[in-house]
Amino acid sequence: MTWENARIDKAKEIIEMYPQKRSALGPLLYLAQDKDGYISDDSIVEISRLIGITEVQVQSVASFYSMYKQEPTGKYLLSVCKSISCEISNSSNVIQKVKEFTNLSNNETDDEGLFTYESVECIGACGGAPAIQVNYETVEGLTPEKAVDLCKWLKEEQPKVVVADELQLKFGGTKSFDWAIEDNTGSSSPVPGFQTYEMQEEI
Amino acid sequence: MTEKITFTVDGKTLEGKQGQLLIEACEDSGIHIPRFCWHKRLDPVGMCRMCLVEIETPRGKALVPSCTTQVTDELIVETESNTVKKAQEGVLEFLLINHPLDCPICDKAGECPLQDQTMAYGPGESRFIEEKRHFEKPIPISDIVLLDRERCILCARCTRFSDEISGDPLIEFIQRGNKTQVNTFPDEPFKSYFSGNTVQICPVGALTATSYRFKARPWDLKKVSSTCNCCSLGCSVELNVSQNKMLRILGEDNEFTNQGWLSDKGRYNFEYLHSDNRLTNIKLKDNNSFVDANISEATEKLKNKIEELHNPDIKFLIGANSTNEEYFVINKFANLMNRNEFLSKDKSNVYFADDNMFSGYFGENHQNASFEDLDSSDVIVVWSEDIKDNIPVLFLRIKKAVKNGVKLVVLGHTNSSLESLADLYLGQDVISNNFELKTNLGNIKEFQNIIENKKVTIIVGKSTPLQQKKYLDNLVDHIQKYSQAKFLNCFTKANTFGALQHIDQIKGLNEFCNEYEESNKNIVFTIGANPVNASFFGSKIENILKKADFVVSLDIFINATTELADLILPTTSFGEKEGTVTNMEMRVLKQNKILPGPGSALSEWEYLTMISKSLDKEIKYENVDEINKALCDEYENNEELPSFENLNKPSNLFGMKNRKNIDINIKDLEKNDLSILMVKRLYGDSSTQINSPSISMLGSERFIELNSKTLEKFGISSKTANLIQDQHSIFVNIKINNLLPDNIVLAPINRRGFKNLDPTKDFDIREATNMKELSVN
Ligand code: SF4
Ligand code: FES
Ligand code: FES
Repeated sequence: MTWENARIDKAKEIIEMYPQKRSALGPLLYLAQDKDGYISDDSIVEISRLIGITEVQVQSVASFYSMYKQEPTGKYLLSVCKSISCEISNSSNVIQKVKEFTNLSNNETDDEGLFTYESVECIGACGGAPAIQVNYETVEGLTPEKAVDLCKWLKEEQPKVVVADELQLKFGGTKSFDWAIEDNTGSSSPVPGFQTYEMQEEI
Repeated sequence: MTEKITFTVDGKTLEGKQGQLLIEACEDSGIHIPRFCWHKRLDPVGMCRMCLVEIETPRGKALVPSCTTQVTDELIVETESNTVKKAQEGVLEFLLINHPLDCPICDKAGECPLQDQTMAYGPGESRFIEEKRHFEKPIPISDIVLLDRERCILCARCTRFSDEISGDPLIEFIQRGNKTQVNTFPDEPFKSYFSGNTVQICPVGALTATSYRFKARPWDLKKVSSTCNCCSLGCSVELNVSQNKMLRILGEDNEFTNQGWLSDKGRYNFEYLHSDNRLTNIKLKDNNSFVDANISEATEKLKNKIEELHNPDIKFLIGANSTNEEYFVINKFANLMNRNEFLSKDKSNVYFADDNMFSGYFGENHQNASFEDLDSSDVIVVWSEDIKDNIPVLFLRIKKAVKNGVKLVVLGHTNSSLESLADLYLGQDVISNNFELKTNLGNIKEFQNIIENKKVTIIVGKSTPLQQKKYLDNLVDHIQKYSQAKFLNCFTKANTFGALQHIDQIKGLNEFCNEYEESNKNIVFTIGANPVNASFFGSKIENILKKADFVVSLDIFINATTELADLILPTTSFGEKEGTVTNMEMRVLKQNKILPGPGSALSEWEYLTMISKSLDKEIKYENVDEINKALCDEYENNEELPSFENLNKPSNLFGMKNRKNIDINIKDLEKNDLSILMVKRLYGDSSTQINSPSISMLGSERFIELNSKTLEKFGISSKTANLIQDQHSIFVNIKINNLLPDNIVLAPINRRGFKNLDPTKDFDIREATNMKELSVN
């Protein structure tokens, strides 16, 4: 057993919510990622035991989705959009600057474990292109300079929680439109979604 | 579902069935649509797009994959239009983007669907100049299967097979998009009894078998259809031979039996044929060592011995690997040699080497089932030896039936591997450690609900030689009372049913030990039987053979039994002899010859006729065809005679069902408490397996299984321990199996070290210190 009891209890709670154990796989992978910052082989073994499918089946799903990380990520995951709307709004410069500042190329993490850099496909912020995400919190209407400012700020402040609204205010530009449910909780790690914020408090 | 419909393909009107897949419907009418991922025994996935065809839709013509499109009435299909051709070229061009052009060193070349279809439907020229993707090649994903990921075209045949058919999904797609690769989880090898099937169905050379790698080119192979002799299912196989060496065995799709699949044992258990240890010369024992002899010396010696011993008692211990023709002659010969000749019937002198043999359920009151019945019945009830280990492909047939909605009831304690498929598993609450029914089955509501007024196929046999038959009777009678029942007698060994059909009366090893009288003069023939190894009666038989006045062994190896012989006659084996075999549904199938026997090896029947000649007795057969004819004459139902002539007709390649009266004269052993449950695992230490290098190590793990409560009692926390009984101590891996009842351990009798244990005596388990877990194979 490599998982703490609290995490296993949480896992069981999640499994309960599904008529088929194996359907809990997605959320459990977040639970695993929350533990190590990526999906470790140990966690895969753990999940396979919990829901009764083979390790390789878990791995198959875990490696299919790019938001399940296969390697440890830094404290801040920088996802810069490289798709079409951003591209025509000068995202290649944003990408270049962020890469220069962090000294990282795609899918790399720095030695201190502060930043992980990735360029991603459309993140649904085309109206506010070019856009970037920090731990999946979106900032729109960036300029290359602002992007560097953002990185600098993260490096200096190292906030525990990043909140999209705050980042937008500080570094963003034109916002597309406010389409999402207002959510000011922000995120505390590169683990998206699934109650992980509360999870962290619990464990 | 079966409603007939008509549709048009390339201008021709064809008939199909409503709901049938287009690709299959076309195939049935002789129109071949190229494909990679579609396989008729697997669910369609539409993964490769090679099967694109054009159909007419209300919105005009559309390209659709024919493997995921159902035929409908009046559908109009084009399979050779320009659009289709262009699509096929495109698909192939894409598939070849990353596929390496290493055909000259690829095992698949010459029979590769990718190669062939590229020739037939490909663009003819590549526009691709970029670097292809690279992987380490090949990587072993188990002891017998290698994976070359560069060659994989991601058809998902292997992954679907392991998930849908064999139920051990240990191979899967990893990553996504152009990074997708097929692989296993680190340290979790593709350890499946059925992994070889993926090698056979892989449409490229991505999955290859260690035993066949670089051995031959398909066009150099000589091929013949035959029937596997590894268990009583009778899988149809194709034997591939080059330069008089068996190089490969492939599964053939026999709708009635194996439906294309084989177990890895059936597939890879052939290298022994060419082992240096194979017996090639007649051996006579001279002062405790064997010297070579010729056939006339051998028959002379035997003749003298018989005379010298004055009317000795001659007994026959027979194995399961003879053909029906051989059993037929063995029977004649044994009758001639029986000094109780023409005495009452239970004086048979033929003893069959299978511990779990019992009188079975034959005759008028017990209707014999076919494997087809598994699919068409409502319920399957299993109480027998472990099916997955002893008749692996029957496990696949049961799994398939269950997948299609047939209910499954399993009675403990040997078939743990079926539990996950079962609707009801009756464990220690209902069945005692001695395999007795503790309660009346009628009191078990769930059981009653499942079986009452249903069509039931019962797979029934003894799980241990110590089981009393009356409990099987209870089950059988109960089901017969409440439902319509058909039977598959679960005798697991090769051609057991052939022996039953052609030997007047068969007895068991217990009868052999009991009827052997030391005060007599005794000659024992062992014919393809090795009961000294891996049998409950092993040590008793060993003693008897040591004391017998003369022992003649007909066999292919020197083994625990034959080394006790005074005369060994080397025989031919699988692929080296022609004949028929009978499977557990009483289907007679053909075994064919494609190899010469080694050295001076002859068939069993040839030796027996020669010996009878030297004794001036009358068994005269010139060739195996004559025996087959003689054997067919003895069937009462002469409509479906399993003659060579009939079985070689294409319409009868599936075999023919016919039966003879069966007489098994075996009584229960004395009641005794069981503490070690001895079971046979698929892989063990049989002489054929240890002489087949590719699979010889697969049966090397020594282990015991027990439930956690029992383990607790011994206070063991590690994964290994010593199993101790009297002076025997075996270092074993411990496996928890909570389906086993309390206070019992399960141990593999066909693995080294276990045969001296007494299942009825107490044992101890002690912590093994400073020992790592045994390597697992
Ligand atoms: S290894 Fe072979 S069978 Fe498996 S997905 Fe690749 S090509 Fe298909
Ligand atoms: S293209 Fe960048 S957000 Fe859509
Ligand atoms: S055969 Fe139809 S998509 Fe592969």
